[in-house]
Amino acid sequence: MNRRAVFTTLLSNRHSLLPKITSVHSGLEPYDGAWAFEQAAHLLRRATFGPTYTLIKESVNLGRAATVDQLLTDLDQPPPPINLNFQDDPFVEVGETWINAPYDNVINLRFYRSLSLRSWTMGLIHQEGISAREKMTLFWHNHFSVNGALSDPKYFYRYIALLRQYAWGNFRELVKAVTIDPAMLRFLNGNQNRKNAPNENYARELLELFTIGKGPQVGPGDYTNFTEADISAMAKILTGWGERGYNSTNPDIELETFFNPNQHDTNDKQLSARFDNIVVSDMGDQEYAHLIDIIFQKEEVARFICRKLYRWFVYYEISEQAEADVIEPMAQLLIASDYDIKPVLSALLNSAHFFDALNIGPMIKNPIDFVMSAMKQLEVSLPGNLNQKATAWYKLFSSALLMQMEYYNPPDVAGWKAYYQEPSFYRIWINATTLIHRMGFTDTICTEGFDIGNEPIKVNGLETLELLDNPSDPNAVIEELSALLFPQPLADVQKTALKGILIPGLPDYEWTVEYGLYLSNPNDLDLAVSINSRMVQLIQAMLSLPEFYLS
Amino acid sequence: MKRRTFLRHTGTAVSIPLLLNGLKLSASPRQAMFRHLNPDNDKVIVLIQLIGGNDGLNCIVPMDQYDNLANARGNILLPENELLYVTDTNFFHPAMLGMKSLYDDAKMRIVQSVGYPNQNRSHFRSLDIWNTGSPAEEAWRTGWFGRYFESLHPSFPTNYPNEEYPHPFAITMASIVSETCQGTASNFSMTLEDPFSLSPLTEGNGSVPPDTPYGEELEFLRISISQTNDYAAMITEAANLGNNIQAYPTDNNLAEYLKTIALLLSGGLQTKVFIVPLGGFDTHANQVEEGKPADGEHAGLLSELSDAVNAFHKDLQALGLGERVVTMTFSEFGRQIKSNESFGTDHGTAAPLMLFGQCVVPGFLGNNPEIPNQVADQEGLAMQYDFRDVYGSVLMDWFEVPEDDVRNLFYQDFQYLPVLQPCSTVNAEKLRLQAEDLQLHVFPSPFQHGAQIRFYSEGAWVKLSLFNSLGSEVRVLTNRRLPVGQHDLRLEGHGLAPGNYYLRLQMDSRQKVVGVVKI
Repeated sequence: MNRRAVFTTLLSNRHSLLPKITSVHSGLEPYDGAWAFEQAAHLLRRATFGPTYTLIKESVNLGRAATVDQLLTDLDQPPPPINLNFQDDPFVEVGETWINAPYDNVINLRFYRSLSLRSWTMGLIHQEGISAREKMTLFWHNHFSVNGALSDPKYFYRYIALLRQYAWGNFRELVKAVTIDPAMLRFLNGNQNRKNAPNENYARELLELFTIGKGPQVGPGDYTNFTEADISAMAKILTGWGERGYNSTNPDIELETFFNPNQHDTNDKQLSARFDNIVVSDMGDQEYAHLIDIIFQKEEVARFICRKLYRWFVYYEISEQAEADVIEPMAQLLIASDYDIKPVLSALLNSAHFFDALNIGPMIKNPIDFVMSAMKQLEVSLPGNLNQKATAWYKLFSSALLMQMEYYNPPDVAGWKAYYQEPSFYRIWINATTLIHRMGFTDTICTEGFDIGNEPIKVNGLETLELLDNPSDPNAVIEELSALLFPQPLADVQKTALKGILIPGLPDYEWTVEYGLYLSNPNDLDLAVSINSRMVQLIQAMLSLPEFYLS
Repeated sequence: MKRRTFLRHTGTAVSIPLLLNGLKLSASPRQAMFRHLNPDNDKVIVLIQLIGGNDGLNCIVPMDQYDNLANARGNILLPENELLYVTDTNFFHPAMLGMKSLYDDAKMRIVQSVGYPNQNRSHFRSLDIWNTGSPAEEAWRTGWFGRYFESLHPSFPTNYPNEEYPHPFAITMASIVSETCQGTASNFSMTLEDPFSLSPLTEGNGSVPPDTPYGEELEFLRISISQTNDYAAMITEAANLGNNIQAYPTDNNLAEYLKTIALLLSGGLQTKVFIVPLGGFDTHANQVEEGKPADGEHAGLLSELSDAVNAFHKDLQALGLGERVVTMTFSEFGRQIKSNESFGTDHGTAAPLMLFGQCVVPGFLGNNPEIPNQVADQEGLAMQYDFRDVYGSVLMDWFEVPEDDVRNLFYQDFQYLPVLQPCSTVNAEKLRLQAEDLQLHVFPSPFQHGAQIRFYSEGAWVKLSLFNSLGSEVRVLTNRRLPVGQHDLRLEGHGLAPGNYYLRLQMDSRQKVVGVVKI
């Protein structure tokens, strides 16, 4: 057997072809199958954004359980976003944070602060290692959706910091905190919900989207899990809350939530039989928390959030089997843990179901995941200083925006459609408009790069080669990059086509020889340019394959 | 070889099977196989989706109900002297100047109080109902236009586009496809924002994807990429060949999209359905400005809509396309009759639906909504017309779909409504019947133990049902063919909670709604 054949065989063992089974039978029990590159890559692709080759190999060594433990290790809150270079802020020096600073009547301070918030957010994702925190923060952002109807970045900062704090914390306490969060109070008009004319907006979404979900309509105004009368009663329970500090220019006004007893409905509120006909009497500023405790008495709340976690981490289709063997045990675990998310998430990410061969690959990456996968997996380097890095991160933000996922601006209160709209789900990300932007993005980083005022941000083929275990073998280059970038192996015909890009019409040893020459003459510009150019063309082709769109 | 070509040459019947979700699904509509299609039909419909739930009472003000409206929504009600006169009993919001011009030119149809029984007040669920055309109690997975297209092209998207059908069937003017065009296997609409910025995408080379969920998604992606390229070429060509004649308002996104549609149609694009979303109608707060009810968020939206539609139809007429295109609005629900303290309105029930074009039956269909003296909390407008009857009638009159097939696409109780005319021939008999008011009386009202209902049948199929103030159909009193003559029925008070109710009489395509109060 020649060397190449040995190599190919070895590599193909890394991800053997799928057996032809079409339905999943595994459940929430711990996974006990093989732990190798393919499984570690799957775990990190789903729980983080765009894992690097190095991190995947690190996870292989750590093992499954230890990787999940590290993914769910509590971390300190990151330092807040700062004024990077805006000289004219009378309240905030360059290098200081603006999150508690007022605005100015003359100078537009909101603009630079919004940019700062967005680039900071993308920077956190971009710099994250083996941690699921940013993926969970975005999960909650999608769940407790608040969008660009709000303009004050201070509100967004406070809101996202809350979600990040509770990444895998207690779901019930998170709902309480979100209910009186200033951004949410404004977004769903909780701040205008007053005793004389209640505004139902928040009460409805609290039930329908945030906690228990809506069942089939089985009677007049009766949606199985709650009724129109509950919405009306709960709106009254939630009356009296307000927030202050929105876009305020007054340095003496702090951003805060407050309770105004005069606007609170103190009458008894009657819930329906769906909530056991409970009557809620006046409890002032504690009444909202009492209400949330009542809602969380219903086990359906646990199922509802577990289905959403499933759709975020596993797959959009929840089969009857998954409902019985995954969702229900998750829900029972959640109830047993008094609604702490961490044990449930740990069980899911450790489960046989999560690592089932059929669940590896069928998730279409959302735009942020897509952008981050290209940038992080190919380890595209960003310029050195923070200011320039922030510009690059903002570029990633606006690229994802064009692909229809804008952080801090989900389309409406239900979040991004890909996570709830039947029957298309993740496929909603893909259409004639977004495909052009996706391919435009990967083409750009593989050609002229993004111009951000100094060195363009682009893929470096020589640096990519240094990441690989066996860069001298053209087949290995393709195999290793495929294992990094694609969830499932390519067909032979595709590999042949890719090799035709790397070494068009030449025998394999030509690559080995030429790369060897480059290694011994690293300062030979001609050699460097020619190796880099071949590699970049290969990467460009790989990133344009629809396989790269899948996770 | 391109994937699509590969498929065509080998003749493999590759389909993307519907991935059934864990949720319980009810019966699906029967698939219609259309028989009498006219291949030369060149009609086009533009759907404008008013996202969020449009407050019909702040668009078209029923002047005969003005006093009761003043009681229920005094803080947002438009002052009488600022309204635009349209008919003696209906005035328009002052921002709807463009629509008034269309109305006065007999190019606007308004269907009063359109909804469906058992109104669902969730945006998302109700939008699903409007997009699919399902009953409120069932979850369907295909859109109403998706089913229509699928009955003509059951193998789509495999081997599309092709020589016979080179153009996209539908286009959503947004970055996300419309659920109205969702078929079993894929969506029949492509997205489009700018017809001049379409560049070819790299297509993957052909390997057969595995028969797994991964393989299905991969196949979906490959077909999307190759279809995008093929359709994009057609769109670019049409955009280069087409033109606009009339000026469109500036700073108006909707107008930009409608202008593009006119451009593409004048350039020969054969797309049948365009969907244009317009967001912002979920006006829980600041629907109107405090103290200035004619201003505010809703006014801005209405002027954007009205100016854009007016310019669009004037342009179409100038381009000679006036008889080919009709525009229709829809929204997931109307809003409650009572306003809230935030100068806004919460989720309600029925609302008017508007159609524009040279081939509409001009004027109002239906009576003004009845606003009670004492409006209940959360009360919405009682439904007069089922939206599925509007949809089905559009398919009949515009796309020549036979009535039997329309029943299969929606529901067996479908009733034809005169909203469009094929421009050349007007169904005079149907119009005459529509103009006559149905006789329906209920007494006494308010009532406690029971009330008498009297109505006259013309020998037709009669459905009489009772709706509560939330829009739920709480009782069906009769639903059968009744002989000609006067009929009396008793409405039992037993089992009805005190409150506002609405009797809805439906006789073939006509309906009448009368309010009654239980004490």
